[in-house]
Amino acid sequence: MAHHEVERYSRGARLFHWAITAAALALAVTGLILYVPAFGGAAEGSYTRIIHRIAAAIFVVSPLLFFLTRPGRSLHFIKGIFTWGKADIDWLKAAPDYYFGGDEKKMPPQGDMNSGQKLWAVVAFLSAIGFVLTGALMWFAKASIPAELFLWATIIHDLCFIVAGAMLLVHLYLGAIHPRMTESLKSMLKGKVSEEYAKSHHGKWYEEISKDGEADKGTTPSGH
Amino acid sequence: MAKAILYDATKCTACRGCQAACKQWNDLEADETKNTGSYENPPDLSPRTWLKMKFNEVENDNGLAWLFTRRACMHCTEAGCVKVCPTKAVYHHDLGFVAYNKEICSGCGYCVDACPFNVPRLDGSRLTGKAKMDKCLFCIDRVTNGLEPACVKTCPPGALAFGEREEMVDAADLRISKLGEQGIEAQLYGRKDLDGLHVMYVLANPAADHALPAKPEVSPSVTLWQDILQPVGYAAIGVVGAGLLLNYMVARARMVKEKEGK
Repeated sequence: MAHHEVERYSRGARLFHWAITAAALALAVTGLILYVPAFGGAAEGSYTRIIHRIAAAIFVVSPLLFFLTRPGRSLHFIKGIFTWGKADIDWLKAAPDYYFGGDEKKMPPQGDMNSGQKLWAVVAFLSAIGFVLTGALMWFAKASIPAELFLWATIIHDLCFIVAGAMLLVHLYLGAIHPRMTESLKSMLKGKVSEEYAKSHHGKWYEEISKDGEADKGTTPSGH
Repeated sequence: MAKAILYDATKCTACRGCQAACKQWNDLEADETKNTGSYENPPDLSPRTWLKMKFNEVENDNGLAWLFTRRACMHCTEAGCVKVCPTKAVYHHDLGFVAYNKEICSGCGYCVDACPFNVPRLDGSRLTGKAKMDKCLFCIDRVTNGLEPACVKTCPPGALAFGEREEMVDAADLRISKLGEQGIEAQLYGRKDLDGLHVMYVLANPAADHALPAKPEVSPSVTLWQDILQPVGYAAIGVVGAGLLLNYMVARARMVKEKEGK
């Protein structure tokens, strides 16, 4: 078979992904310094707090920019990740064996985003809202809100971090390390995957795009 | 042995000599302020004002009472600021009071919200987050060299005393019984509160009339994140990390096997 490739992520989607990845990693590292007492010395001079704020601004601005340039695509994506049905339950049942190296053919064919990717997107989306709201309170309203509210804002900020941080580890692992996800990282770097990979990992999506002859009908924000 | 400052509100004339001595000894700049029609000045504690006298006008059974409160760090044993400080910059000195290492203060300001007495103050930029906390240091440089704190040294009516905490409790009890003989019912504030404060007050009026919390407490939300969220976070990362490692080994082994089988 000739080496055909199909477009998976548009340039805008990839730019958005890596901007928010860089911001999230910077936020995680500078935030951990306050969470783990052993790292506390690194906070000297408040420089980690300044980096945390710059990264927070990127973390807020990049999705807003993406939304403003592709509102329809963004809404479609948000609707997609919150739509769950029977197919998702079938996926969840079949997933453990598949991810532990079981027979690929037992996995039901997946659309543009599988249920696991949707789950990550939901966690990322909701925790981002939690981070931004509590973070904004701590940043801008510390002097004006009651002490108890401030303390709860830090607790919710931490809770978001525990949940989103654990899921981020899983996301990094599946995207870049898992032996079966051979083209996942490449697709987010270059935007394309091979036909074979598209067929075996996102069979339903591949069928859709081959029928329409274009690659932007999925739920992923990959519009042009 | 733990040291303590004893403030006797029944002797205090609110001359504010302690306020001035604190500024002088600790080399703190004056805060810009304005006349608000009260002797109370400046209006609040600040990064440069670690001690100030609060003036309270309270109506009670005897008519109008003019009560004074020494506002400064109370040097708690169960200290919210020490508990919450992420970098351990705020700590208990061997002599019992609450000191801080300004160099490793990250400026997060959690201590400001954790303090039941609303004492620590942040100095810095809210926008960038670059900041440092300041509060009463118990004149650490004086007391570790056998001297009393500057505020105690200067107090003209002898309303402030300094010494071993036990001795200060005894002195307070003696004073309270003397006041009792005169028909004045007084109490010692800080004897047991927060496991014992290192700044205690003899008060002849309810704590609330002195604008002090009747039962000072460290909010449970102060300890929640370090007592519960931190271990939960470490456990979550550990479980996820171990799970992913296991997954990698199993998935790889099975996939290699499958390839060989073909």
